[in-house]
Amino acid sequence: MALPTVKSRVFCAAGAILMIALAAASLFVGKYPLTLEGLLSGDVMQLRVFWTLRASRTAVGVIGGFALGAAGFVYQTVFRNPLASPDVIGVSSGASAGAAAGILFLSGAAAVTASAFAGALAAVVLALALSSLDRAGRNGTIVLAGIAVHALAQTALMCLKLTADPERELASIEYWIMGSLNGISGYSIGVNLLLCLLCVSALFLLHRQILLLSAEEGEARMLGADVGRLRLAVLLLATLAVSCVVSLSGLISFVGLLAPHGARLLTKRNRVGTMLLGGMLGSILLTGADILARSVSSTELPVSIFTSLLGAPFLIFLIIRGRQRA
Amino acid sequence: MKKILSLLLVLAMTLSLAACGPNESAADTQTAVSEESGQEDAQEETAEDAGGTEDAASEESAEEDASQTAYPVTVTDQAGREVVIEEEPQKLVSGYYISTSLLIALGLEDRLVGIEAKADTRPVYQLSAPELLELPSVGTAKEFDLEGCAALEPDLVILPLKLQDSADALEELGITALVVNPEDQELLNETIKLVGTASNTQEKAQSLLNFASEQEARLGEALADAETPSVYLAGNSALLSTAGDSMYQSDMIRMAGGVNAAAEITDAYWAEISYEQLLAWDPDYIVLASDADYTVDDVLADQNLADCTAVVNGDVYQIPGDAEAWDSPVPSGILGAVWLSSVLHPEECPEADSMAVIDEYYETFYGFTYSEK
Repeated sequence: MALPTVKSRVFCAAGAILMIALAAASLFVGKYPLTLEGLLSGDVMQLRVFWTLRASRTAVGVIGGFALGAAGFVYQTVFRNPLASPDVIGVSSGASAGAAAGILFLSGAAAVTASAFAGALAAVVLALALSSLDRAGRNGTIVLAGIAVHALAQTALMCLKLTADPERELASIEYWIMGSLNGISGYSIGVNLLLCLLCVSALFLLHRQILLLSAEEGEARMLGADVGRLRLAVLLLATLAVSCVVSLSGLISFVGLLAPHGARLLTKRNRVGTMLLGGMLGSILLTGADILARSVSSTELPVSIFTSLLGAPFLIFLIIRGRQRA
Repeated sequence: MKKILSLLLVLAMTLSLAACGPNESAADTQTAVSEESGQEDAQEETAEDAGGTEDAASEESAEEDASQTAYPVTVTDQAGREVVIEEEPQKLVSGYYISTSLLIALGLEDRLVGIEAKADTRPVYQLSAPELLELPSVGTAKEFDLEGCAALEPDLVILPLKLQDSADALEELGITALVVNPEDQELLNETIKLVGTASNTQEKAQSLLNFASEQEARLGEALADAETPSVYLAGNSALLSTAGDSMYQSDMIRMAGGVNAAAEITDAYWAEISYEQLLAWDPDYIVLASDADYTVDDVLADQNLADCTAVVNGDVYQIPGDAEAWDSPVPSGILGAVWLSSVLHPEECPEADSMAVIDEYYETFYGFTYSEK
């Protein structure tokens, strides 16, 4: 019995090391030629680039990836559905519609971020409010409400795209939706990252309750949990964390789905260590993908291309490995 | 094209991740791919044209001497279609702002019976031929109004390459349609000749072409010994989207005696970059596209760029869009270079001279005075 715990500790340690290594690498890969000597000797320009651009981007990669991975774990656990992700309750489409509205009617990157965040929140609040109309509090109701909100947000997005100028605004909307960390700077990330960290910490504090929710509902109730309210609170926290990230970066595919699966396949368990490992895998995936997105070509590429390209083979490898073991 | 390229690039990258020189191999793949596709395109075109090129060419050369189009005339349009125009067209429809502006310059605005949608966003129509704004709209490049266009019973319809399908549909309805593709300076020159031939305005078309080449020569002479500051051109959609070396906009910078800060980018469309990249290039000037959503003040106030040379010196400008967007391949595109030359080299190219050139252009071809509008 002791074996899995040791194993998951080993994996967590390895994950942490890899995460730190990638974060360090991320600090020193980019278009601006930063040198260690320059930074140490206090070159103003280099220091400014380092802190406002490079370090901020790295922070969003690491923390954002972690939040996406951990939130994905929460969703899959709470819904007892391996395909559940923040998209299920319309977060990403809400954020996209919000961002599109921001691009069309407001100006400035900060306004677009705020607008995307508002869109994501609106979608979540709407989905949760709709689902609370169902007094029986069935698990499936949230998913259904989420799908309805998702469809609504997509329609709103389509209408916004239709009114957009194809040369300017439509291009901006499409680029936003593709997701990238290239517009991130130290001046715009503070609030989002802080809120995101708070939500993720709260999720880890609630980890016992989250695992309770994965049990059968009757069972959880017997163990003394107010299932309905708890589920709402946990989902709200997870979604808030994701909204913070997505409103900064645009949509990032696959991290929220893959990271928790990877963690589960590695540890063969579903407990707090797995959630931690899921977060770290998310971090590793997003930071690694972002390093590639900014260095492979002379222009910036969408980060989702690389999260999928790195993630999919990894997932397939884990599945095949699992087969062979069994 | 760009999407396919970047996908290929990405695939090539992942495959070569194990190998050590990822950047080099990426660059190789990219050039290889673009060269290949370029050749393919060329071959396809020759194959398609092979049928009637000779006739068209011989007819065209005969016309050039006469400077009068002898109808019926057969022309090969910029989609490689062969178009027979039976007689001098009296009723014209233009589905593209560049061809509409060209038709005004050729003095054909009175023959237009329909133009593209959103005409009210083009100040040059208001200034030169306000009656165009009253004309029925035949739709946008996204959605062309085939029936509405047919109802106008035009003799000749000019459409952008994006609407080639609509052009074919019009031909089936028995309406002559010409596809143009003025995507860069050369193609624009071709467009001007093509439309000139089709509408029997070859002399005017030639003087339009001469104006541009004379100005280019003048700038080349005046700036022969001038320094070449680096210029970052910020795109319409965002500050961090820019034009690489192979784009039309890059020629404008070069003609105006500058160097494109983003010259290393080879994309044929607006490319996304990061603040870091912009700071690494550290351009002497930042020039905003004329239809940009954001303003010069936004850029000057952007804290991320506080140390950029252009921002420190206050050398951030926007290409004027009071008449036309000179950074797009419109017939007046050369004026973008004329304007920019005064920004970069006020000594060699005084602003008053440039304004005189701009006035001359619009007085000659559009019948209004730019500086007095």
